Amino acid sequence: MSKEKNTNASKKKEFFLWRWIRRAFFPNKELDIYTEEQLQSPFRVVLKNYFSQPIAVVALILFIIIALFVFIAPSFVTLDLGEQDSTLTSLAPGYDMMKYPKELEENGVVDISVGPNYSIGVDTLGKVYVWGKSKVTKIIDLKDVPEEVQAAHVVRVAAGSDHAVALDEEGTIYCWGNKRLGQLDLPFELQTNNKRHRMEIIDIQASNQFSAALTADGQLFLWGNTNFVDLDVRTQVQKHVKQVALTMNAFMVLLDDGSVVNPAYTSSSTVQKVPEAAQSGVISIAGSTNSVAALMEDGSVIVWGATTKGENLVPAFSAPAVEIEGGRYHYCARLENGEIVAWGSNRYNQCDVPEEAQNAHIVKIHSGSFQNYAVDEDGHLHNWGLKGFILGTDTLGRDVFARLVNGGKMTMTIGAVAVIIETIIGVILGGIAGYFGGVVDMVIMRLAEVISSMPFIPFCMILSAVLGTRVTIEQRMYIIMVILGILSWPGICRLVRAQMFAQREMEYVVAAKTLGVKEGKIIFSQIIPNVMSVCLVTITLAFGTSMLTESTLSYLGFGVPLPTPTWGNMLTGANNSLIIQSYWWNWVFVGAIFGITCICINLIGDGLRDALDPKANGR
Amino acid sequence: MKKYLLKRILYLIIVFFVVSLMMYSIYNLIPSDPALVQMEPLRKTLKPDEWTRQYLELRSQLGLDQPLLIRYARWMGFMRDVDGTFSGLLQGNFGYSVSYKRPVVDIIGTPMQNTIILNFVSTILTLAITIPLGIYCAVHARSAGDSAIQAATVVGYSLPIFLISILFIYVFAVLLRWFPTGGAKTPGSTYTGTREFLDRMYYLALPVLVLVFAGLAGMTRTVRAAMMDTLSQDYIRTARAKGLREKVVIYSHAWRNALLPVSTSIMGWMISVFTGGSLVIENTFSLNGTGRLYWSGLNTTDYELVLAMQMFYTLVSLVGVLLTDLSYTLVDPRVRIDK
Repeated sequence: MSKEKNTNASKKKEFFLWRWIRRAFFPNKELDIYTEEQLQSPFRVVLKNYFSQPIAVVALILFIIIALFVFIAPSFVTLDLGEQDSTLTSLAPGYDMMKYPKELEENGVVDISVGPNYSIGVDTLGKVYVWGKSKVTKIIDLKDVPEEVQAAHVVRVAAGSDHAVALDEEGTIYCWGNKRLGQLDLPFELQTNNKRHRMEIIDIQASNQFSAALTADGQLFLWGNTNFVDLDVRTQVQKHVKQVALTMNAFMVLLDDGSVVNPAYTSSSTVQKVPEAAQSGVISIAGSTNSVAALMEDGSVIVWGATTKGENLVPAFSAPAVEIEGGRYHYCARLENGEIVAWGSNRYNQCDVPEEAQNAHIVKIHSGSFQNYAVDEDGHLHNWGLKGFILGTDTLGRDVFARLVNGGKMTMTIGAVAVIIETIIGVILGGIAGYFGGVVDMVIMRLAEVISSMPFIPFCMILSAVLGTRVTIEQRMYIIMVILGILSWPGICRLVRAQMFAQREMEYVVAAKTLGVKEGKIIFSQIIPNVMSVCLVTITLAFGTSMLTESTLSYLGFGVPLPTPTWGNMLTGANNSLIIQSYWWNWVFVGAIFGITCICINLIGDGLRDALDPKANGR
Repeated sequence: MKKYLLKRILYLIIVFFVVSLMMYSIYNLIPSDPALVQMEPLRKTLKPDEWTRQYLELRSQLGLDQPLLIRYARWMGFMRDVDGTFSGLLQGNFGYSVSYKRPVVDIIGTPMQNTIILNFVSTILTLAITIPLGIYCAVHARSAGDSAIQAATVVGYSLPIFLISILFIYVFAVLLRWFPTGGAKTPGSTYTGTREFLDRMYYLALPVLVLVFAGLAGMTRTVRAAMMDTLSQDYIRTARAKGLREKVVIYSHAWRNALLPVSTSIMGWMISVFTGGSLVIENTFSLNGTGRLYWSGLNTTDYELVLAMQMFYTLVSLVGVLLTDLSYTLVDPRVRIDK
């Protein structure tokens, strides 16, 4: 009987509902009337409503992608907080640091010199090529090779930190690049070299704003910035120099008697204290940042100086070494049997010699900075090391991409934890206030008023400044989460309280009370689950707000302190016109991903609000 | 009404003192000792026990040996200070700034003026744009224009204000070169009169633009939502049915009623801009305003200045909340708050 009545009732309803559904969603499609009539749980209705909004769905998908990216990528892109390199600052995005011109390889490589972020090569025709990040300043680009260098038949090149040196077959030395600290001021003897006293120059070298030239009769000439290094050469060593090696702030020579000596009058650097073993029997030397390597007659290598990244841990060679080259924190040696061995810092894979280079018969290696180039007997060029940074580096030489993903993880974690704290406090206090009413309600609501009447950002700043002074960076991060959570609960509290007022008079609560269920249980396991769906919108939007507040605090310098990255503090220095324009990659990527995330969260919140709105279903 | 006002003001005062006590206790968590700062240079010239004696003497002279509550009462001006006079916050003594080496009262004048100008101009502009825009959106709900404005406001509403500032600096100061990137006046200029005013406005233009853009989104959404709600009411239908002109229906019937929820959010928004927004803006554009003063005070650990500013902020937001409640009666005569 009841069943029949039911079908009758639904038949009556069917007619207009059917029409409504058809007109709203399926204008031209027949719909099974029973599908609509099926009883659906509120959760499913909300879900269905939500997924009927294309913008909200796109926002949700985008947000999930960003969240997954930000939480998964840090396990692949690890971030060393202390890592920064003065030679890698403000590099533009792109993997072009090892993209040498094909023409160079085709014509046959004569010499390659690797500078901090760029490389110079010269081919058999004497043509000079520059590749990599060769922009030294806004105006000076080392790719702009001077015309006289282009016209000359160059045989050797040397790449300095912000200047380049080239030597042509007539013995003329050319310099170009930054000239503010005397990098281009050739000594008098070299300026007039091709005219009167003709000296045969056999080698040129360039390093951190200073350069060296060596003549066939063993004379050494140095020029450049004398602030880091004393460029005067002791007269005793002149005419005996066989080879010169430059480090960042020193230079060492190999004399014709096979000993390595410090040719300068001063001895301040640790590389200038030559070990006993390198006093004789050395055939070649190479310089790194703060260390020098000597290749001995027996084919072994000795390294000394300030070796912080394992440059001194020379591996066992399978054959005697015949050639040695130094990079920024690594050395590369060619063995007699053609094998290439590299050791030292392997941060940018500069020590991972590729298989094809090992198999080819290498005749010459050129290492420097974080890159290595090897020429095999067929004239092919092999290279390995740092290709570049996908999103560039910031003003301290840190990888923007690594900071972006790790900072995103930090920002999202802080936002999420702050929202969880906020929700817990808000739900508990709101539940109690709404259920019991009276004095408890009064006290809690006054407290909420006091907290919400306090100016939010200034208050967060003073709390973070005061509490954050005596703690570690990690503890300060937790403090930020707690501060954000504690200061923003009143919103959720008010909402829960208002819902509570409506719910506590409902039949199921009365029933629970009659059954003698404990009041705490009624509030938190009976009423709150019914209220939570309404809070969902507020929670979603509060997550966005927490992220915004955290990043604003970090931007102002009172959130998560540097060097720990967050999306906020990555943008801290970006309000300066130099960074905004010239180093745009410092702010564009992080700004874009942060902006998209915030927009997505707000769209999700809006979508949820519409989905939860009972009016949205037209019932 | 009078009774209600008195009740509210009393409540405001209580909250103010609760917050100030909280702030003062937080401030006292900082391990700083002015007596030690003064005595430290003498440590080498005096004998240890003599130094300790003088140090303790100085502490009691400065009143640092008293419990927190007494120090709070002295700072606030409820109790006689160590020199026997009432010289607390209530008497107009806001403390002494360590970094500026001047009383706080003397330094907050100019920044306050700047911040008020910045906020005043941007608020007027925002409201002048927002209210017509919001009403337009509500009246033409779901039209193409409305959808476009809605999409634009979601962007403006979601982005943090510092990101908007950076974008605006890039577009208007770096690319187009219309405005300077920061500062309050042309460096080294000694303009007077109209010239000075124009120069100032020129430098204020970009910060104001950012504040207007950031405020635009949220406020337009609020006005639209409130208007939409009112427009769906029965009395609007009745008004239309009576044959009233659409203009009268919208501006006289609907807008007056929508103003109530809007006024609440206007006030809330103004407070948040005055405290949080201007903090970011002034730092980004290096303007000498209260936000920047507060920020530099925190950075140089000039806590008497910070404390005074914090009290000022608290007062601003408390008075703001009170004004919001009072404005209800102005906006809507049906609201009788004294009940």
